[in-house]
Amino acid sequence: MVGRWIVAFAFFLHSYPLYRHAKNFAYNLLENAHSSYKKYFDYGMIALIFLSVYILIRQVKHEMSVEWLFFNNYIISLIFLVEYLMRLWVHSDNSQVVIDQYENDLFLHRPFSPSQAFKTIFKQKLEFVVSPPAVIDLLAIMPFFHELRMLRIFILFRVLKLFRYANSLRRLISILASKKFELLTLALFALIMIMVSSVLIYVMEANNPDSPINTLFEALYWSVVTIFTVGYGDMVPVTPEGRTVAMIIIISGIAVISFATSIIVSAFTEKLDEIKEEKMIDDVSKLGRFYLVCGYGALTNEVVHRLRKESKQIVVLEADGKKAKEAQDDGMYVLNFDSASLHTYSTIRIHFERQVIAVILLQDSDVANIYTALTIRELDKKVPLHSILHKPENRKKLSMAGIHEMVNPHELVGFMSKMISNQPVAFEVIHALRSERGGTVIEEMVLDSAMSKRFFELLLHPLFHQRLSMLGIYQRASETFAFNPQPSFEIQSGDIAIIVANRSLVEEFRNLLHRKTMK
Amino acid sequence: MMYRSAAVFGFNEYSRQIAYQVRNIYQDFALFVISEEEKKAAIQAGFLVEMFDLSEDWHGIEQKFDVKNLIVFCALPNDAENVFLTISLRATFDKLNIVALAQDNESAIKMKSAGANKVLPSLQLAANVISDMLEKPVVTKVLHDVLFEDSSLNVVEIEVTRHSSFVGKRLHEIHFKSQYDVILLAIVDHEMGTTFSFASKGHNHHIDAGDVLVVIGYQDKLNTLIDAVRRRHV
Repeated sequence: MVGRWIVAFAFFLHSYPLYRHAKNFAYNLLENAHSSYKKYFDYGMIALIFLSVYILIRQVKHEMSVEWLFFNNYIISLIFLVEYLMRLWVHSDNSQVVIDQYENDLFLHRPFSPSQAFKTIFKQKLEFVVSPPAVIDLLAIMPFFHELRMLRIFILFRVLKLFRYANSLRRLISILASKKFELLTLALFALIMIMVSSVLIYVMEANNPDSPINTLFEALYWSVVTIFTVGYGDMVPVTPEGRTVAMIIIISGIAVISFATSIIVSAFTEKLDEIKEEKMIDDVSKLGRFYLVCGYGALTNEVVHRLRKESKQIVVLEADGKKAKEAQDDGMYVLNFDSASLHTYSTIRIHFERQVIAVILLQDSDVANIYTALTIRELDKKVPLHSILHKPENRKKLSMAGIHEMVNPHELVGFMSKMISNQPVAFEVIHALRSERGGTVIEEMVLDSAMSKRFFELLLHPLFHQRLSMLGIYQRASETFAFNPQPSFEIQSGDIAIIVANRSLVEEFRNLLHRKTMK
Repeated sequence: MMYRSAAVFGFNEYSRQIAYQVRNIYQDFALFVISEEEKKAAIQAGFLVEMFDLSEDWHGIEQKFDVKNLIVFCALPNDAENVFLTISLRATFDKLNIVALAQDNESAIKMKSAGANKVLPSLQLAANVISDMLEKPVVTKVLHDVLFEDSSLNVVEIEVTRHSSFVGKRLHEIHFKSQYDVILLAIVDHEMGTTFSFASKGHNHHIDAGDVLVVIGYQDKLNTLIDAVRRRHV
């Protein structure tokens, strides 16, 4: 009976939108590093921590008002307590556990066992409670319960909470954690040395009336100060035996320090690539609109070079580490990931709709490009896909994979050869226009229906007449090109004029057109 | 100037496309291949082929073609061999019109110094088209239709004949847009050599016999213009 209620309640919670929404919000706020509002939450918590520490310091020599102390002891602690409970809440999903257990039992034709479900829930929650960050969180709340002077030190645990809110600090911990074994070994070595030397020095010195080391604690203090090469000199061994111990511990102290340094440095060098990659992903996710190029090679290099001239941002995806390195040396945004894997896109967090102007597939084979195209189509149906076409017979397959435009270099060379044969001068002219040699360019100009009259008037303006050729207007709606249209031509918004002229003249024309239209 | 015969060297994806596109333009067309494999593939694709090797002396070509009227396309897959082929041809034939294919800009420069009249750097061309496609999609589409597809909109070169009614006129006196419904893109000044200048530079050029007008327009309108240019001056 109780079991049935529990299951019913679990199902209710599981499907109750408000509850789901609240939990999701809490998760984003606390744990989801990529959510937009976590940042502000983190800043708020950091501010509270610093405030707390400030009050602690201020209290030492000054009288603090009751309100401040109340704020410090209760309000901040309460906020931290709420945070702790929320973290405990979002750590695992109880209703899910109950439902899983219920379905499992149902499947095995067993009666539902609430105790098993509670055991799992307890285990999952315990997992959170004993994790080091959670322990720190709990300690940071402690001043709430006691106002004992000693317990004020627990406020310093609040400082340790900073690790939760600062990404770079978390990264530092994870780097050091990768060398856990080495660091532990070293710590053990240092610990044994300290123990042995403090006992030895105590035995050698404690009974000597000239020696400043009289207690075991003093011996321990002396050992720690010596082994870590600080050596205050406030206590020094006076017996020859004690000094022998000192010599040994000084030498081992240098070993401890140098080993520790080298372990930490090597941890950083090993993780350097990872850090760089994370930084790159971070940078890319902050970019505005960019072209996503899949595959790096000589062609990519050329395309990127051209697009950069138009001051466009480009991000390159390349699975091959060596090629990715080359691209990086060329100063591009490069992510060393396989563009054909869905996993890649969840890792690199590219937002297709918001960020990607178009995807350009320039991998070495049609097979790879089709595979990548289908992967991207899975994620986004609309983003324009452009591709190189290696074999003309694959044209249809590429188009079936959702690729809008493709370029076959072989056909292109064929066409160009034909043109060189038929109209060599015209070929040169068009080529010069496209490569923008000699300052004359062929440009697109988006028009507005309100511009109609002004547009044709301006074309006859002495500044532009004979010097600026308008080839025609491409009509968006009908997708047709009206060559050399008459002034009576009616321009629709979104139509595009093609203009041949000197670059600065085109700019001037554009400016005048917009200015006059605005008036 | 139109050439009467064409020769393509090498047989691969590039030369296959070149051969397809140009073989009907010329009266004589020949495909030269370097290896038995290429020969087999070319025959299979329906071409008549002849063998050559890089150490050969080239006087066979002289017997087969009128070199002054010949254009050759060097399209060997290896850039180094292609440079060698270009330089061998240039060493033998002073006046031959050589179009050479290069993979990238670096080889393109070498082809030029080896004496090619025109170099097609395939990588750059593809990159240009891709970036134009992205940045100027409409221009790319319209130009592609005009240049490569059989649309009614075309670009032509018209040479001004000696007795043309255009001789002696100034560019601004001819109303290409309103009278002929075509657009003048560029003009090659006979006196200035072979380089062209864009009509949009605004020079009020004096038209001489031998100048070439590069004009874009619908074929029927272009024909009207061509007739007008060729019409004898009265």
